[in-house]
Amino acid sequence: MENPWFTFSLPDFSYAFLSVLLEGVPFILIGTLLSGIIDEFLPSRVMVRFLPRNAFLGICLSGAMGLVFPMCECGVVPVIRRLINKGLPVSNAIAYMLSAPIVNPIVLVSTYVAFRGQSPLEFTLSRLGVGYLVAVIVALAVHHLPQHLILRRGVFSEVSTSSKTSGAERLSVRIGNALRVAVADFLDVMVFFVLGVMVSALFSTSLNQELIMPLALNDWIATFSLMVFAGILSLCSTSDAFIAATLISFPYVAKLAFLVFGPMFDLKLLFIYGAVFRKRFVAGLGVGLFLLIGMICVRLRILGL
Amino acid sequence: MTGSLQRYFSAGVLAIWGIMLGYFVISGRLASYLHPSFHIWTAVSAVVLVLLAAGLLFLPEHEDLECESCCDHLHDQRTPVRSGVTAAILVLPIVLAASISPDQFGAVTVNNRGYIETINDLPSYRPYVEPALPQSDDSQPSSAKEDDTSYISKNAAGQIKAQTIDLLYAAEEPGIRADFEGKEVEVIGQFMPGRENSTQKDRFNLVRMFIICCAADARPVAITVQTDEPHGVPEMSWIKVTGTASFPIESGRRVPLLVANSVTPCDPPEETFVY
Repeated sequence: MENPWFTFSLPDFSYAFLSVLLEGVPFILIGTLLSGIIDEFLPSRVMVRFLPRNAFLGICLSGAMGLVFPMCECGVVPVIRRLINKGLPVSNAIAYMLSAPIVNPIVLVSTYVAFRGQSPLEFTLSRLGVGYLVAVIVALAVHHLPQHLILRRGVFSEVSTSSKTSGAERLSVRIGNALRVAVADFLDVMVFFVLGVMVSALFSTSLNQELIMPLALNDWIATFSLMVFAGILSLCSTSDAFIAATLISFPYVAKLAFLVFGPMFDLKLLFIYGAVFRKRFVAGLGVGLFLLIGMICVRLRILGL
Repeated sequence: MTGSLQRYFSAGVLAIWGIMLGYFVISGRLASYLHPSFHIWTAVSAVVLVLLAAGLLFLPEHEDLECESCCDHLHDQRTPVRSGVTAAILVLPIVLAASISPDQFGAVTVNNRGYIETINDLPSYRPYVEPALPQSDDSQPSSAKEDDTSYISKNAAGQIKAQTIDLLYAAEEPGIRADFEGKEVEVIGQFMPGRENSTQKDRFNLVRMFIICCAADARPVAITVQTDEPHGVPEMSWIKVTGTASFPIESGRRVPLLVANSVTPCDPPEETFVY
């Protein structure tokens, strides 16, 4: 390796930092505007009425909601915060949060296009399947955890005390309320987004990416190292397949792990999740996803993938 | 912090973000950061953020409204210290970064990301598919009748105006190679010196950044230029190279090599990225 493994450049860092901010802000804004509308106009407990009574079926259905309500990984966090506030069980919200950036039509099309010539249908379906499976498994795992161990204190108190019934208020007043909620959510999430983008910009510009090339030789090492790489790069789920498709020397299962882990947990999400969840839960979620996705993808090798 | 101060604080932060986004759109700097398909989203966000800021200022205060059972978040009163930290995180980094950022990557990131030197490594590249065979009545399929060199344009001196990516395609695909090989071409790109351990000291790299969504996913696409003349330009500065395109086989693979007649500094092109 000719260059050192880490070289920092402030102008390059600023450039990468700004580019992710400029790309991500519109999607966070959409998510927070939606969260304001949900908060003001979605009657409490309506979510629960529409979900199957059986918790397992409810989680399975929530994991597929991204096909109908597609969201990117940045925009989905403020939305699930308000959905939880409106009575959606936390496990269902987590199933939707983890799966929506993968199990959504835009990402499926981009994955198919990116892998043309490299078994695109197989790649797209395995990404969809593993992404959905992991979201459901994690949601089932957190289903029996008490909310106070999962949610931040502020979010938890909103869940337990919110009983707003503003059906009689004038529309203009309700729109004003929705805007206030949207603005509060936008500012909250943006703080974490800015911090996360700083960290990912630092690594994506300073780390010598030649480091990962020798790791392609072993399935286990390749899979887990590409997940670390996905976490560092913090790519948008609509574009990450184009990067993964160029990692020709890496085995299929390693690229699959890259495509499933990245949209569920990366450096920017590590911070954004902090707007809703307790730090300890976020850390556990990260480790759990890392191990679960890695194990599933490596085991898929048995099926000849 | 009182409700009014909180409102002004939130409106101020939103306004600054709206103005910053609007500035990037109006100044044209946005083109150096995002794929064109994302520009409209940034422009709309700028307007929405400014409108939200204005809305916050002119909407009646929540406390003034009749509210039988308010929810907690509407009364989320931040302490002045917390608001100051929030404002610092939300405002300072974007303002500082906008003033420092050179609107392009320097040599550090290009070296860290490594060059794409063969078209097979390019994100979204699809291998060339042979055209359909002639039909039974000896007529050509419609696609074969098209002028295959229509994508080539020339400068006033008659040299082919090419991009680094064109020459990478040409190295891989014989049909395209025939359009360039042995011909005079003009290529604009960014200068990067050859590898330090290279034995061929008369060579440097001509780079263009390829992006999918934004500069954060940019990958440097490079061809090799051979020249005897000292060029003395700084790393990653824009240059125009004219010379003869060749495609020798080196280390077992065919590579594009531009044998330069002239290397001159130039302004960045209108589109600094390749897509």
